[in-house]
Amino acid sequence: MKDIRIFKVTAVIAFVVAMFFGNVPSADAAEKAADNYKLYCVQCHGTAGTGKWVNAPYLAVAPRNHVSAKDMSALSDDSVFKAIKSGGPAVGKSTQMPPFGGILSDAEVSGLVKHLRAMCKCKGK
Amino acid sequence: MMKRLVFMSGLLFAVMLASPVFAADGKALVGSNKCGSCHQMSGPAVTTIAEIMKRKAPDLFYSGNKFNKEWLVGYIQAPTTIRPAGTVYLNNIKVEGDTDVVANVPKCASKLSAGDAGAVADYLMTLKEDMPTGTAKIGKFKKAKAKSFMFKGEACNACHVDPRKGGGISCPTFEGIGTRLNPDWLYSFLKNPQHWDPKVWMAKRDFEEKDLQLMVNYLSSLK
Repeated sequence: MKDIRIFKVTAVIAFVVAMFFGNVPSADAAEKAADNYKLYCVQCHGTAGTGKWVNAPYLAVAPRNHVSAKDMSALSDDSVFKAIKSGGPAVGKSTQMPPFGGILSDAEVSGLVKHLRAMCKCKGK
Repeated sequence: MMKRLVFMSGLLFAVMLASPVFAADGKALVGSNKCGSCHQMSGPAVTTIAEIMKRKAPDLFYSGNKFNKEWLVGYIQAPTTIRPAGTVYLNNIKVEGDTDVVANVPKCASKLSAGDAGAVADYLMTLKEDMPTGTAKIGKFKKAKAKSFMFKGEACNACHVDPRKGGGISCPTFEGIGTRLNPDWLYSFLKNPQHWDPKVWMAKRDFEEKDLQLMVNYLSSLK
């Protein structure tokens, strides 16, 4: 009987601790795709996704226009995933598209691919 | 007896003015000047985008790893613009049509005297974190090769302003970077930016050792 009471008290304490500390964010926690887009992509692709950000004039290759259904539908989801994760050279494109696989998890990269499809309102080839 | 007491008090006062107290003064000045209202003065670095969006100024809790003291002393007296679009560029852009423009970049308000700046710099140089292994090997290097690698290959100036080539503004300028930063820290940051700032928007690349050294040498030459 005493053991059961100790077990119940322990369970309650464990639950309370989990409630308080279970949601502590870490660098490994997945961010929302829209937030990742803002922090990492906007600096070259722009807030509107058109590629017209102030960094763009200094890129030898114009950043991809993410709202262009014509441009984006020519790319498969797999190639977009690879470009984000491993950088431009992974899909035969410029080194100026850096690899974000060192920062973003695969799930976050997949989230960005979906986010880009929502921006261009198009599907991959 | 009285003479001895006066002598001892004088001696104690002289000891208090000596260098170990300098660092304590610097800490007090950091507090009284409210540097911590904009800068994070103790680690660890933030780990979420929501937190980084609240950042007003660069973290200073690893100043001793990052900066060259002489540069700090000058900057604290008369701050210049290091990040053309501000500390977190996203906080200082507005959309005009379909184009982003930079607006209202806040400036560091520090305006300390040379003496106070020296004390603050002394204190900041005591703020250190563990630095990953590996160091910069500063020596002779091929500038043309470095430029080709950094600007044609990696497009560093897409985000950083280079004094000669110009460049983007979402990240710190290369202007005077050799005066500003400790080459060993620069090496460490280039190798793994997220070690120092988990949510920094500079991608982590797997550079080869020779390329890391080439970049650190080029950047350290920009005085």
